[in-house]
Amino acid sequence: MIQISNLQYSIGGKSILENINLEIPDGQFVAIIGPNGAGKSTLIKLLLGIWQMQEGFISIDGIKQSEWLKANVFGYLPQHEEYDRSFPATALDIALMGLAGKLALAKRFKDHHKQAAMAALEQTGVANLAKRLIGNLSGGEFPRVLLARAIVGDSRYIILDEPEASLDRPAVESFFALLKTLNEAGHTIITVSHDLNILSHYCSFLVCLNRTLHCHNHTELVSSEIIHNTFGESVRIIEKDY
Amino acid sequence: MFQFSFMLNALFGALLSGLSLAIFAPYVTLRRISYMGEALSHIAFAGIAIAILLGLSLTFTTMVFVVIISLIIGWLSRRHKLHEANTISIFLSVSMALGIILISISKNYSFDLASYLFGNVLLITGPEIVSLIVLNVINLIFVTVFYKELFYLTYNEEMARVFRIRIAPVSQLFLVLLAANIVINLKSAGIILVTAQLILPAVIAFNFVHSLHRAIVVSAIVAVLSAIIGFALSFNLNLPTGATIVLFEAFIYFISINFRGKQNA
Repeated sequence: MIQISNLQYSIGGKSILENINLEIPDGQFVAIIGPNGAGKSTLIKLLLGIWQMQEGFISIDGIKQSEWLKANVFGYLPQHEEYDRSFPATALDIALMGLAGKLALAKRFKDHHKQAAMAALEQTGVANLAKRLIGNLSGGEFPRVLLARAIVGDSRYIILDEPEASLDRPAVESFFALLKTLNEAGHTIITVSHDLNILSHYCSFLVCLNRTLHCHNHTELVSSEIIHNTFGESVRIIEKDY
Repeated sequence: MFQFSFMLNALFGALLSGLSLAIFAPYVTLRRISYMGEALSHIAFAGIAIAILLGLSLTFTTMVFVVIISLIIGWLSRRHKLHEANTISIFLSVSMALGIILISISKNYSFDLASYLFGNVLLITGPEIVSLIVLNVINLIFVTVFYKELFYLTYNEEMARVFRIRIAPVSQLFLVLLAANIVINLKSAGIILVTAQLILPAVIAFNFVHSLHRAIVVSAIVAVLSAIIGFALSFNLNLPTGATIVLFEAFIYFISINFRGKQNA
């Protein structure tokens, strides 16, 4: 379980997150929704420990976040991976990155690590590209390699920042179907998303964020009124036909 | 040409110097920190001046100074969210200015700026050869033992942290060793050659191979060949050694561009 209390964050005097109190029970498929600039990515980066907290408290499995992070790792799929296309890494190297933290300093990958990474690439449908350099992967293939990296470590928490941004519709469907399988296997999934349509099929728990928290609850308890409050009056929920 | 022992020393010196920097070069080019080589060798100038002024050991004092400054640069950039490139540029100018003022205070010393720029491999001594050998051994151990950490640190530092890869000690050690390599090579190679040797062998290597460990090997081979051929050319044509090696490497680089594009690991 993840507990966030009184979380505040500002950048250059501008408040990004205000008074966030949130409890995410285990085994949920959580979607964090909100308009651009709502602080969704900030919340995730604070949760992951990429950014230092300014005010507030986060505990994971009942342990203080900084302590939890010493012995555990999140599975994470960033919105944009900053990387050099000419970097001499293969898809397999990137998938293995998700296991590298489990090895002690200076220890090498063993065959069973490579098998686990191959299995993860298999799950995300890109095992045939394992030997390919990342610079030669297409815009749709690379996110699948990154998803393999996120799941290979078998973390209890898999966090995704707008996974649908760089994928086409069929890929999004299979992506979320895979997340659902992982969720059913006991992983807690937390994803930032704009695609309310797809979320309605998969998510069990919705977090509506717009600098402050508008709701955090099981999806069936979220009304369109709350959605409107989160996004402002201009929002219309449409059935998008791809 | 080896009838004089100093010539043999010089050849070994050029060879070991090129080799030590070539091992770091793939990381430096991939991390896009080739400016670090240039900056740290300029920052060393103030260290040299301090050593001269206080009558301390030149190499040791300079190394300590460069390491301290590079750690301060890293800390300041993180602490105040500054662009590392900007912080480095500031320290570069400050160190040069400080160096010039300190050199002018120590009036009894005539500082040879040309040898600082291009170095002089012919002046290399036996003990310096030994320290270059030790340096090469340490470099090799470092990149072999911490291959995994260095690989992911170079790929994406932030993601390496998210996946709890223990990059912090390796990253600090990288900086310290880079500084040590630059300072120890400064006398024989000078700023220009140090900067060139931290880039050229690696960019040449990446035109032929597409994996990090192969790039390190090819980079080392390029550096050794350049040292031997550049040394022979400079001896026979009576040209400055360091500058000849750089020109020869640049020549290989322009040829190697034609081999680019085969994209298999």
